Amino acid sequence: MNGTDDSERGLGGDDAVAAEYVLGTLDADERQAAARRLDADAAFARLVDRWEVILSPMADRYGSVEAPASAKQAIDRRLFASTASQPVQKAGLWSSLAFWRGLAVAAVAAAAIAIAVPLMTPPAPPAHMMVASLAPQQSDVHYLVVYDGTKGEIGLSHVSGERASGRDFELWVIEGNQQPRSLGVIPVGARMTMPVSPEMKDKVAAGAVFAISLEPRGGSTTGAPTGPVVAAGNLRDI
Amino acid sequence: MTPQDISKLIVRTSMKDRGAFDVLYRQTSAKLFGVCLRVLNDRAEAEEALQEVYVKIWTKADRFAVSDLSPISWLVAIARNHSIDRIRQRRRPAADLDEAIDIADPSPGPEALAVAGGERARIYSCLEELEADRAAAVRGAYITGESYAELAERYKVPLNTMRTWLRRSLMKLRECLER
Repeated sequence: MNGTDDSERGLGGDDAVAAEYVLGTLDADERQAAARRLDADAAFARLVDRWEVILSPMADRYGSVEAPASAKQAIDRRLFASTASQPVQKAGLWSSLAFWRGLAVAAVAAAAIAIAVPLMTPPAPPAHMMVASLAPQQSDVHYLVVYDGTKGEIGLSHVSGERASGRDFELWVIEGNQQPRSLGVIPVGARMTMPVSPEMKDKVAAGAVFAISLEPRGGSTTGAPTGPVVAAGNLRDI
Repeated sequence: MTPQDISKLIVRTSMKDRGAFDVLYRQTSAKLFGVCLRVLNDRAEAEEALQEVYVKIWTKADRFAVSDLSPISWLVAIARNHSIDRIRQRRRPAADLDEAIDIADPSPGPEALAVAGGERARIYSCLEELEADRAAAVRGAYITGESYAELAERYKVPLNTMRTWLRRSLMKLRECLER
């Protein structure tokens, strides 16, 4: 092959960096820079994820090798030694999500059981839950959503981004090519729950898109989003 | 364990459920240790890397929700990327290479966990469309985490040529997979 052909057909820009990060060929400094961007830049993170998906079938070449027993003990020491009297860490987004669902209590119980009976299978997960990360769309607004189909309730956790003064965030669900349907104005706060009406429950299914738009205070009066979409994401089964 | 089971364990780990984390470790640590060992090529370092990998899994499990990867592939990606970060921080001792290759030859074993058979067959048929040495370089880079510098030395070409080869190969691979 010749050089001209390469420059015409080769990967470029962030796509190339993402591909090379996943392939593993970058040097130490380039990898560190890419890893920092992964944390800060959602668009770059999506490129990397796409390449991980493309190349992941090659990972079947990795054989399995039993890890030494000492490894798990060392992991538990690293993670839990300093919090032995308080097994559930209070920090972190998900523990706050767990809080709204009343799961903190269950987690403490599960941890206690796990300590007492290490080989016991943990209790069955709650039925029919889905999650979505509503990633910023040309904004810094980021929410995490957990949908509990059993309770008919949405839990929202505010990650970043403030509403402009005099404006509200409104949550929408979009199913396929249908018109967005409002789930209501998102209450102000770090974490909150919103009820889902029985009618809306049918709209909330795996693959549905959640979007947040910026609306006048009190929400859109037209029944459709009127302001810019500031965050959006797909609902995934868990 | 089905992929759905692994997904649930990851999500419950993100909720700081230690019971789920313990089961997740039991079900996946052999695969991830295989990854660390193959890339790092040193048992003691691989064990240390494995510990760091599961610490990351415990603290970053919520990110699984925003990935399109299958659950086991998501875990493997953490182990792979972490192991590659580690080898980039040191010079690789060449002496143990043969041993590592012996350890980790393809023995897919009971990982019905892994990717679906169809996707696997497809990437290999797409790799076959590349020139043989390019395909080998892609596989070598992905599996053992060889850097451009190392690959350039092995194939006796300038580093920038190797970069061009691999970028072009990756693009062709993606085009083939998306056909």
